[in-house]
Amino acid sequence: MNWTDKLYDFDALQKPDWEPKGLVFDVQRFAIHDGGGIRTNVFFKGCPLNCLWCQNPESIRWRQDISFVEQHCIQCRKCIAVCPVSAIKTDSCEERVTGIDKEKCILCGACFKTCYAGAINIIGRWLSVEDLVAMVNRDRDFYVASGGGITFSGGEPTGQPKFLLAALQAMQGLGLHTAVETCLHVPWEQLEPLLSHVDLLLTDIKHMDPERHGALTGVSNELILENFRNIAGLGIPVRVRIPLITGLNDDVANLQATADLIASCKNVQGVDVLPYNRLGISKCHQLGCDYALADVAPPSTESVEATADLFRSVADDVTVGGM
Amino acid sequence: MSQKQTVQINSAVADHGPSDRVEQVKARFLTYTPEVCPERARLITESYKETEALPMHLRRAKALEKVLAGMSIFIEDDELIVGNQCSKPRSTPIFPEFSCQWLEDELDRLAKRQADVFLISEETKAILRDEVFPYWAGKTNQEYATSLMTPEALDAQGAGVFTVGNYYFNGVGHISVDYKKVLEKGLEGIVAEADAAKASLDCADPEDMKKRQFLDAVIISNKAVIAFANRFADEAERLAAGADAARKAELLEVARICRKVPAQPAEGLQEALQSFWFVQLVIQIESNGHSISPMRMDQYLYPYYAADKENLGAEKVQELMDLLWIKMAGINKVRDENSTQAFGGYPMFQNIIVGGVDRHGEDATNELSLVMMQATANTALYAPSLSVRIHEGTPTLFWKKAAEVARLGLGMPAWYNDRVIVPALLSRGLSLEDARDYGIIGCVEPQVGGKTEGWHDAAFFSMSKVLELALNNGYDPMGKAQLGPQTGSVEDFKTFDDVVAAYQKQMEYFVKLLCHSDNAVDLAHAKNVPLPFLSGMVEDCIGRGKSVQEGGAIYNFTGPQGVGVANVGDSLAAIKKFCFDEQVVSLPELKAAMDKDFEGAEELRQMLVNRAPKYGNDDDYADEVAVMATDIYCAEVEKYRNPRKGIFQPGLYPVSANVPLGSVVAATPDGRKCGQPLADGVSPQGGFDVSGPTATVCSVAKLDHTVASNGTLLNQKFSPDSLAGEDGLQKLIAVTDTFFKRGGFHVQYNVVSRKVLEDAQANPDNYRGLVVRVAGYSAFFTVLDKSIQNDIISRTEQVA
Ligand code: SF4
Ligand code: SF4
Repeated sequence: MNWTDKLYDFDALQKPDWEPKGLVFDVQRFAIHDGGGIRTNVFFKGCPLNCLWCQNPESIRWRQDISFVEQHCIQCRKCIAVCPVSAIKTDSCEERVTGIDKEKCILCGACFKTCYAGAINIIGRWLSVEDLVAMVNRDRDFYVASGGGITFSGGEPTGQPKFLLAALQAMQGLGLHTAVETCLHVPWEQLEPLLSHVDLLLTDIKHMDPERHGALTGVSNELILENFRNIAGLGIPVRVRIPLITGLNDDVANLQATADLIASCKNVQGVDVLPYNRLGISKCHQLGCDYALADVAPPSTESVEATADLFRSVADDVTVGGM
Repeated sequence: MSQKQTVQINSAVADHGPSDRVEQVKARFLTYTPEVCPERARLITESYKETEALPMHLRRAKALEKVLAGMSIFIEDDELIVGNQCSKPRSTPIFPEFSCQWLEDELDRLAKRQADVFLISEETKAILRDEVFPYWAGKTNQEYATSLMTPEALDAQGAGVFTVGNYYFNGVGHISVDYKKVLEKGLEGIVAEADAAKASLDCADPEDMKKRQFLDAVIISNKAVIAFANRFADEAERLAAGADAARKAELLEVARICRKVPAQPAEGLQEALQSFWFVQLVIQIESNGHSISPMRMDQYLYPYYAADKENLGAEKVQELMDLLWIKMAGINKVRDENSTQAFGGYPMFQNIIVGGVDRHGEDATNELSLVMMQATANTALYAPSLSVRIHEGTPTLFWKKAAEVARLGLGMPAWYNDRVIVPALLSRGLSLEDARDYGIIGCVEPQVGGKTEGWHDAAFFSMSKVLELALNNGYDPMGKAQLGPQTGSVEDFKTFDDVVAAYQKQMEYFVKLLCHSDNAVDLAHAKNVPLPFLSGMVEDCIGRGKSVQEGGAIYNFTGPQGVGVANVGDSLAAIKKFCFDEQVVSLPELKAAMDKDFEGAEELRQMLVNRAPKYGNDDDYADEVAVMATDIYCAEVEKYRNPRKGIFQPGLYPVSANVPLGSVVAATPDGRKCGQPLADGVSPQGGFDVSGPTATVCSVAKLDHTVASNGTLLNQKFSPDSLAGEDGLQKLIAVTDTFFKRGGFHVQYNVVSRKVLEDAQANPDNYRGLVVRVAGYSAFFTVLDKSIQNDIISRTEQVA
């Protein structure tokens, strides 16, 4: 089993009746910045937050999405012929396919099946634990040789707790190092049962101020910070990731408050400063949505370094870009 | 019993960057433009005219003697290791005895062609046209070889099924001599050996009479090289007279050394390097065969280093090594225009390999292994080629040094797996000790140095063309002629096995023609261009009284390369899936679309590209078909023998022959369009490796690298960010280690440069697998908006 097999496995598009099942939008082999060593990263679909800078906008909705990559379209028009609800958008002279009307689309998958050029994609496949085990077994030697393992991220992996728990147990059964990347905006009752199967938690601190947090992500940070402190109490190893977004959360006061929080938690093993990049833009276009931060520039090298230095005062292991 | 003493390795010896002298010599080197030098061509032509009555061995020796005595020599400022190939650095001599028709035809284009440009003066052109070409017309080795080939073989070459061009037009090269013997005994020692062999001959025995000619030729050529070294001693003394005190001392030391070596045994590192260099250099004046590979230099130079290291100090050691590296980069060769496609970038493939196990199976790493890796980092030139050997006991400091150099993006070192290569060589009849002592010739070809004539680059064979002929009933759609046997038309194939059977029959037919052609060229070399100087340094030529070209070496092979593993695998996988398993398109329909280069069938082509399983993604369906198709080629090649009493052994690497061979293959069932390049080595087709490096490595490891004992090649691309920091080194090491544990043969890493990204922006279809990796994010580079691509491109510039 290989993720490329899944990509054109049309059965994986239909919601299956077996359990536990996970809706994921990518499985990346050779992930190298998400928890140490060479890893396989499973990207879950669905996220309770809606960060302005999201670089994986296809992760946000809890259901499948459809995307259109114009560069790949050969304008064969077969999608138009098969769409039962006329959701394929064309330019004004009806000559070129330009996208998909998401309001109309019922995600039947017919256009995707017929689009050999790979211009249309249904984002989100149903994955079983067995398939996942078969996938990670392929790369096991690489994890062992590099000190890597498996990372569950997304989206929000804890948003599909049944599947995540079963997957974590299976990975631990294989003796693999497990990392979970979570925004922590999850009820503690949902989070807590998972934690004993996690070797490393990766979590973002996006802003320390509840209101600002709300403006940037759509939710307040109270639950997040409460969970963060609870986890510290349990002593579970954590790497904190700081998305550094020019003008939005890079003021000294906020960064200092974040550093103070980290300093108070003994379980923080390291900090990864993740400078804002504009990689989300293309994906937004492919999904046919607008990108909120189109005018924000990536932070300067100096500001990234200064931020990393600030965190070096509270954590031993600070990277820029993740490890 | 192990005889190895455990030596403490101090990795700090290899921490020294380039010295000022090295920087200066390199800066000067980079100012030189390759040029054609007429001296050798003129001298050898004169010599051949003088020796027409003599046996060929003596003619060759006397020609070398005349060239070495008459060519210009020079010593440049700051040089400590001296010796030049022709009248200017980076210029090329001409070797008309091998072939010269192409040169005559292309003379006016040399300075204007696309790749590997050589300047040529009008005087040089006049010399070649008036004095050289007229003499050689009808006398070259190429013309003789052609006379031995059947019309069918010539047709197959013309159609691009295979090319034997490398040795057809040039010397063979692809050898590693017994440098250790040269260092220990000196050329006088070799002369003494030849004298002794002569003394035991029976002067009335006709066989012995031939041997005497060869041994005399060995003696003449070795003495000529000693005289050549003395010319440099004279020149150094002359320059010393006018030099300042510091340079004068250096030049007098150079003079002393050139009087001593290579004639006598070397003592100390500088003498050893100088002795090595004269030998390495003259081999490349005697013949223009490339891939003269020094191989295990860290082993045979070690005693000279160990004796001298306290005296010299680590910085001086590094400087001498760096200077030798630049010297090696100065060797050059002009090829015909077609060959520059297969061998682009002035490559000479002088392959140096460090590390691995010794003849007793113990780890052989020493301080020189690290110093040599550092020399590659310091000089940062395209030559010499640096390789590393990896085995279970490779020390961490060696792994790390190699990974650090790999990260520089020079495409070096190339990594080799002792675990696979030692057994592969054993299976080809080498002794265990010899197999453990292997090095790499040229690109990826393993052999034991000093006793092997491997003919490793005997041909490039297009597996893709063979499949094309199988789908066309033996008819060549590009050349519009019946080329192979009639093995059934696509309408006749009822099952996938029928397709494979036709491929197998075409393969049998063309591999036979391939081996016939190789043997024709082989016989020609033995008759026309034996190499007495080279042969004196290869065991057991003196003992047998035969040149390497006549079978004087202990081990003899011929190694033709299969090209297009991925294309044939992907094509057959697509046929199997769509035409037979799922029957969504019939084979005749598919073929009709291919005949039109997919004109009007872009949807079908997209289906082939995007919906068929592809080799290189760890997909068993595609990988199994690729393995099967490759095994058919390998098994055919193994059936044949060469005139030197050796076997044929297959390899799977293209250098860059995948480009010209692809240009004569029509559209293929993997969705590749007519004339596009074939895939590189055992690497997946560009753009089809969408599952990342671990998947590629798993796929490639499924091939039987032990059978492909002439070498396989895997190129892996990494973006600079994936290799950053200590963690990045560990990842590179982990990928290599895992590939090797799974049975990989060779891998080399290219760091994705700004240039590659720009190319990906311009030609997205070739780079569908190129992934942008940042924390928590994955995307294919080619689907990003142009402005984002530009962001990444500019960021890459900062890192690299
Ligand atoms: S089927 Fe695909 S390639 Fe054809 S027009 Fe629709 S989106 Fe474009
Ligand atoms: S998924 Fe179905 S409904 Fe949506 S655009 Fe495609 S064909 Fe139409």
